[in-house]
Amino acid sequence: MKEVILDCFGEACPVPLVKAQNKMKEMAVGDVLIVQIDHSCAMKNLPDWARGEGHNVEVEETSEGEWEVIIEKTK
Amino acid sequence: MSETETGSSIRRSATRAPRKPKPNQLPFALILLVLVIAGALLLNRQGNGIAWYFVTGLVFGYILQRSRFCFTASMRDPYLTGSTQLTRTVLAAFAITTIGFAAIKYGAFRAGQPIPGQGFVVPISFATVIGAFLFGIGMVIAGGCASGTLMRVGEGFFMQMLSMTFFVVGSLWGAHDFGWWKEHVINKGKAVFLPDVFGWFGAVVIQLAVIWMLYMAAEKYHEAKASAGSH
Repeated sequence: MKEVILDCFGEACPVPLVKAQNKMKEMAVGDVLIVQIDHSCAMKNLPDWARGEGHNVEVEETSEGEWEVIIEKTK
Repeated sequence: MSETETGSSIRRSATRAPRKPKPNQLPFALILLVLVIAGALLLNRQGNGIAWYFVTGLVFGYILQRSRFCFTASMRDPYLTGSTQLTRTVLAAFAITTIGFAAIKYGAFRAGQPIPGQGFVVPISFATVIGAFLFGIGMVIAGGCASGTLMRVGEGFFMQMLSMTFFVVGSLWGAHDFGWWKEHVINKGKAVFLPDVFGWFGAVVIQLAVIWMLYMAAEKYHEAKASAGSH
């Protein structure tokens, strides 16, 4: 199991989403992608997209206004 | 659904940096509240109802921030993620405001008063189509529409200070040339106020029907995209 951290601090929506989508394509099933974001909009559409795809998703507020979206690739 | 779930079910490596301690924001909130009240009282002395605009603006911004409402995402996400959740939220908001605005306008009409907001009934022309298209490109690149950009600057998202700077520049430029556009393009179109054409009740019904059809189309699109993604 691989863990990949994607630093998207300072990137406005939809950049984090597009970056995560591209990264997920390179990853294997069971790998975990951690997307670090500080744009509140990405906190909505990134988990929505990943849940829609059927992956396991968690959102954690690591600091005020900073979040980690943790996505486990399931297929 | 909670956005900050605890009790992780996803296995992660333990070698992560410890969390930064979160500063207590309550004192800042209290200071800000006092400043807001003082500001509103100060503005109230100027009259013109400007304090009212100040307070409603703050309330609007608060709701926008907490609800993560995003007009940009409502137009962009159907293409990007196949989700029309926000699109439908915006359509629901349009439906509610349709009823609200119709009530306000009809109330004034019934009372024989001048109908408020009629200055915003402006001609439809190609300028609307071209302007909407340009605005759509701009808001996706800038990461937010007008209200969204203002809200995220308030949130402390620094990159969008840049968006806001050029948003101000563009608005000033637009205002500077607006007279020419109005004279040569916009006024060539025809201004339509739906109640004049269909009557008050008909206008509300027709507008709600159009919104409902768009809502159903958005739902179908969502389902089609979701089932295409799972295969």
